[in-house]
Amino acid sequence: MAIEARFSVMSPEAGIQRVAGEPPPFMGGPPPVMGGPPLSSPVFTRRLDTLENKTIYLVDIGFGGGYNFMLQLQKWFTENMPSVTTIVKRKPGRVFADDNNDLWEEVKERGHAVVLGVAG
Amino acid sequence: MESAAKSNPRAASLPFIYTQQPVIGLSPEVLDSYITGNDPETGKIVIDEIIDALTKPVKEAKLEPESAKTPAGGTPRVLLEPDTEDNLQRLFYERGWTDGLPIILPTEERVAKMLTGTSRSPDEVVGEVFQMDTGELVKYTVANIAVIAVMAGAGSEHFPVILAIASTNQTALMPSTTAFSAMILVNGPIRNEIGMNSGIGAFSPVNRANAVIGRAWTLMSICWGYARPEKTLWSSQGSNLVYNNMCVAENEERSVWTPFHVDKGFRADESVVSIFRGWAIINSPGAASNRSLGEELNIELAVIPPVNSAATIILDPLVARNLKENEGFNTKQDYCRWLSENIKMPAGQYWKTDYIDMLAASEAYQGVEPYASWKKLPDDELIAPYHTPESINIIVVGGETSPLWKASDYRHTASESIDKWRANSDDECEDGSCGLPDEPVDYD
Repeated sequence: MAIEARFSVMSPEAGIQRVAGEPPPFMGGPPPVMGGPPLSSPVFTRRLDTLENKTIYLVDIGFGGGYNFMLQLQKWFTENMPSVTTIVKRKPGRVFADDNNDLWEEVKERGHAVVLGVAG
Repeated sequence: MESAAKSNPRAASLPFIYTQQPVIGLSPEVLDSYITGNDPETGKIVIDEIIDALTKPVKEAKLEPESAKTPAGGTPRVLLEPDTEDNLQRLFYERGWTDGLPIILPTEERVAKMLTGTSRSPDEVVGEVFQMDTGELVKYTVANIAVIAVMAGAGSEHFPVILAIASTNQTALMPSTTAFSAMILVNGPIRNEIGMNSGIGAFSPVNRANAVIGRAWTLMSICWGYARPEKTLWSSQGSNLVYNNMCVAENEERSVWTPFHVDKGFRADESVVSIFRGWAIINSPGAASNRSLGEELNIELAVIPPVNSAATIILDPLVARNLKENEGFNTKQDYCRWLSENIKMPAGQYWKTDYIDMLAASEAYQGVEPYASWKKLPDDELIAPYHTPESINIIVVGGETSPLWKASDYRHTASESIDKWRANSDDECEDGSCGLPDEPVDYD
């Protein structure tokens, strides 16, 4: 026989404070380094008028398959837009955080644009 | 996928372009077809979108994280409207507060009784977790965790262990597309005080303390928001080990070696909870009958290339005793050193493993040893990937009915004192039931 129990029950989410935050120094769990400084709202450089005679960095972020994808993307530009110079690089540091800004400084100095990927 | 990216304040302004999945392990021809094929999110040609993203203005977006917006109705209500048992069970499930199994409804009375298991104030903040995907920082109090503990079926005697787990600031559900799982290990006097199982069937679903403590960690992770598909839950297959996170006690009484928490610097008479996390675990299907345990582990661990040399090996007391009395390993550390020196795998096998390439190759490129030297080796050259004996954890669990073990790539991520979360022994509660197991709950 069904018993109609009447309850006032506590909400599991009640009282849990959810706020916009920044990652703590250590979140626990692999990968060993995950986090890094939070991004401020990004400001983009002015878009290029054309890719003709420009240098584009194709940067692999380190997920499996990313480097090979960038090589094929380089091949596409070579065959279809030969005036575009493409440079394939793997970004410094682990997937989730950079160790230094060397590559980004190089891109600023020598490049006109970056394609970054591929995740997942 | 696109909506998830755009709801993240860290990524909202970035021009995302999607290819077909997966990208990994495919031929150049297939990758070419991805580049000239359609973006599954927009239906447009991927290479056209790439060129457009580089040559057309980007619309900058500035979004607040989801949680920073003022929720409709203001502060969440502590109490739900009274309703029937069935309706409330359904409501908890539909709001995404459970693991799908029925819960014990956290009535005021039950939560109040749970709180007698600790001397800490209900309003004290136990910890916080940060969700990278949503930018949410979730802070939770002793009272919040008491609600979760009731839901998991715990009694107040289990509460200090559950609070200690919550204080590690770790989630049982990792926001990864891979299938992480984790293990909870309890050491010290509280194991026996609350009747945890460290012997026969310690990992089997037969013991209340093991079951409810492990489940509570998962329920709190769900209620912190880690179970929202394509927002915080990404694991393609998931892992049913997360239902109770392999919660177990170490069989200190039958172990010939020091308990795990003592290895980590705690006193033997201190109660401690430890957390381990990884991807792969092998249940040994047979004993080391025709080969030594070292040879067996060499075979098993060599197929799980470790991240930063991490491994956790769970030995039945029979196995540990044999290693000490017949093979001369007086301490766990002696055996870890032996494993570190003797488990080998070809360098090519190591580097061609997806997650090793993702997580360890960057170390090699920066000259960090031993990865830099390993990167230069021919594929068939043997390396010792468990290069740091201190990263190998050995735990003794089991009922001595068979000399078996489990080998895993789990790494130790935290150990926390349980004792500081206990009720003081001189505390009194009104009905004298503090710390006693709850009465069984009657349902229809």
